[in-house]
Amino acid sequence: MNDTTTVSIVGVGGQGVLLGAAVLAATAAGAGLEVKASEVKGMAQRGGSVLSTVRFGEHVWSPVSPHADVVIATELLEGIRGLDLLRSRGTMVCAYTTRITPGSVLRREEDYPDDIAGAAAARGLRLVMVDAEGVALEAGTLRAVNVALLGAASQVLSFTPEQWRSGLEAAVPAKILEVNLRAFELGRAAVASQEVES
Amino acid sequence: MERQLFFSGNEAIAHGAVRAGVGFACGYPGTPSTEIIEATARLEGIHSEWCVNEKVALETAVGASLAGVRTIVTMKHVGLNVAADPFMTLSLTGVNAGLVIISADDPGMHSSQNEQDNRNYAKFARIPMLEPSSSQEAYDFVAEAFSLSEEFDTPVMLRTTTRISHGRGQVLPRVPVPVEPREYARDISKYVMVPQYARQRNRLVLERLEKLRKRAEASSLNVLEAGSSDFGIIASGVAYTYAREAFPKAWFLKLGMSHPLPYAKVARLYDHVSRVAVVEELDSFFEEQVRALGLPVIGKAVIPTDGELDQEIVFRALEPYVLHKPPRRRRPVMPPAPRLASPPQPAPGLPVRPPVLCPGCSHRSVYSSLRKRRLAPMGDIGCYTLGALPPLLALDSCLCMGASIGMMAGFNKALGRKAAVGVIGDSTFFHSGITPLIDAFYNEVEGMVVILDNRTTAMTGHQGHPGTGLHPDRAQGPQIDIQKLCEGIGVRCVTVDATDHKALDAAIKEEAKAPGLGVLIALAPCVLMTREKAGEVLVDEERCNLCGVCVDLGCPALAPGEDAMSVLETCTGCGLCVEVCRRGALGFAGCEDDR
Repeated sequence: MNDTTTVSIVGVGGQGVLLGAAVLAATAAGAGLEVKASEVKGMAQRGGSVLSTVRFGEHVWSPVSPHADVVIATELLEGIRGLDLLRSRGTMVCAYTTRITPGSVLRREEDYPDDIAGAAAARGLRLVMVDAEGVALEAGTLRAVNVALLGAASQVLSFTPEQWRSGLEAAVPAKILEVNLRAFELGRAAVASQEVES
Repeated sequence: MERQLFFSGNEAIAHGAVRAGVGFACGYPGTPSTEIIEATARLEGIHSEWCVNEKVALETAVGASLAGVRTIVTMKHVGLNVAADPFMTLSLTGVNAGLVIISADDPGMHSSQNEQDNRNYAKFARIPMLEPSSSQEAYDFVAEAFSLSEEFDTPVMLRTTTRISHGRGQVLPRVPVPVEPREYARDISKYVMVPQYARQRNRLVLERLEKLRKRAEASSLNVLEAGSSDFGIIASGVAYTYAREAFPKAWFLKLGMSHPLPYAKVARLYDHVSRVAVVEELDSFFEEQVRALGLPVIGKAVIPTDGELDQEIVFRALEPYVLHKPPRRRRPVMPPAPRLASPPQPAPGLPVRPPVLCPGCSHRSVYSSLRKRRLAPMGDIGCYTLGALPPLLALDSCLCMGASIGMMAGFNKALGRKAAVGVIGDSTFFHSGITPLIDAFYNEVEGMVVILDNRTTAMTGHQGHPGTGLHPDRAQGPQIDIQKLCEGIGVRCVTVDATDHKALDAAIKEEAKAPGLGVLIALAPCVLMTREKAGEVLVDEERCNLCGVCVDLGCPALAPGEDAMSVLETCTGCGLCVEVCRRGALGFAGCEDDR
């Protein structure tokens, strides 16, 4: 349609989806691009699904798009759900070790799905699986799953490490910046070993 | 021959209501609507009350309708502005027994601050509207309105203007309409308007509107009256009478059911005449819709938009056009039924993840206690609305901010007993829960209100309110004490620590049995603000038989394992599951007991 890139971040209320979007938006803005972002956050702290979308390019018209080039999922079920958001041959970056069980599964009314690789392959989507919990813990806090994933996603997005660093410094509160910078670097490194087509 | 009566439109509506089997009438006085309730109060078989304002009156009426009693609610045009919040969402929930909203407009502002045209509200809310043009029609249309309301599951607006409400005329009484009682049936997805249910209801409203348009096409209330000239007039209400008198030879489309507009009937008028005018007081309500059909029409270019009309104004405005050389005819372009968006399709096989009450949320304890009582909990808007979703299913209704107390009042009044309880949060209570509490006290409602006081506006992210005194910059201002406020009204009020499950349950049990009106404040700061772990809950795997009693609390920190429940690390140790477990399988670490 145009040269606008669309990245959606999906997860569960309380996981830091909105902060992740803020970092991405600041990074793109710092790179001199126009940025528009949008989220549905009314239920953000009540454990519901959360979706945040960031769009950037030379000129961005709409703040939302039904299809994303890249989806970043901070939780496995939301990642599988988020496959529907991807355009054909889009890329999913998913925290496959993070599982937050919804009530209907706790009550055994429904089953938690786990075959994201099969679902992505069936649709011809590219999948980057990241042990974001492991990466975040190594960085120092489980709460950095969101930024660890951004580090992983940085391998498929066209910003320089310096631009990402500026974005993190602009969006992340000072007292948790260090741990998040570490989580970002470790997440980036975790994917460097995987084969990622560009 | 039946004895003819001589009634104002308002008296005719009151008598028409009794004839239509209406059992409940409420409203707030306002010219020219006031005499309706004054008249119903003199009639047998119908309960009449003044409410504290039009919003509370409508919410009370909704409660009575849910309880199964046909209900009218009356107000002047500007009163519907006050009631607009419940009014707009009531269109989505629909009704149980019929519910008719009577809006009396005041063109010319004989005794009003503006002359807004409330026909726009019927269109805005996508509900049917009837407009009588005489006392006889005012009488007859009430029963018509109720049959539409119940057949199409919708509130109906009966719209009058000053000349209809206060004008007098003969009324021939008719035989009473037989009315079947309608039992109340709990239906959460119909009456609790959380987004996921409201989206479904909204589609039904759009479909209902097109069905109603078909009804308007066939309705005997919309009459094509043959004339002997080449001139046609579309009109409703008192404007019809002016036009009829000014142009006795004209063809008429007389609209009694004036929303939704019957397009085909409008087009049929154009089959008979080459010149058509719309005669309407105030806005170009019909005219714009006729123009949208691509049909030429004479209207507000010559007929005043402000003030009242009369036959002379109408005659002088239209007379040149009656003699005018007719233009070439045009065919109407029928608008297609509006297209609906594709409903969101949840991905097959993927569990949905609705928002839930947090682990340790004190609302859960209130709901756990309330569901042991045989009371229909009328809910309100806030985090606690989430308690209506499975597995708690703790609320019967959620209409708009502050509706819980008025709906409880109307429900209990209609049934004559303490059948419902109002459940409202602290911030919502300050928003619009005080006026209905005043109303319930004034109207001597047998009922119970539970104020879920978590000391914040939690759902939107912990903003301040008059009970906390906190401002947007977190500066501390004066605080209003809810209990003192209730006691100041004269209402019995107790405050209970909502983290003490036993005390809370005992207080709710006691208040549920007490006569009269009482408020119970369930006090516990929002767990998202305190984030304190009260203790560690352990599972005795020998005793747990996975009976599911604790699962029904809908706590995200409890998960059934293979052989026993397990407690997740998100547990705050509120202990409600320990309280409800019947086998003593859940307990606090460090608690020595002899289970």
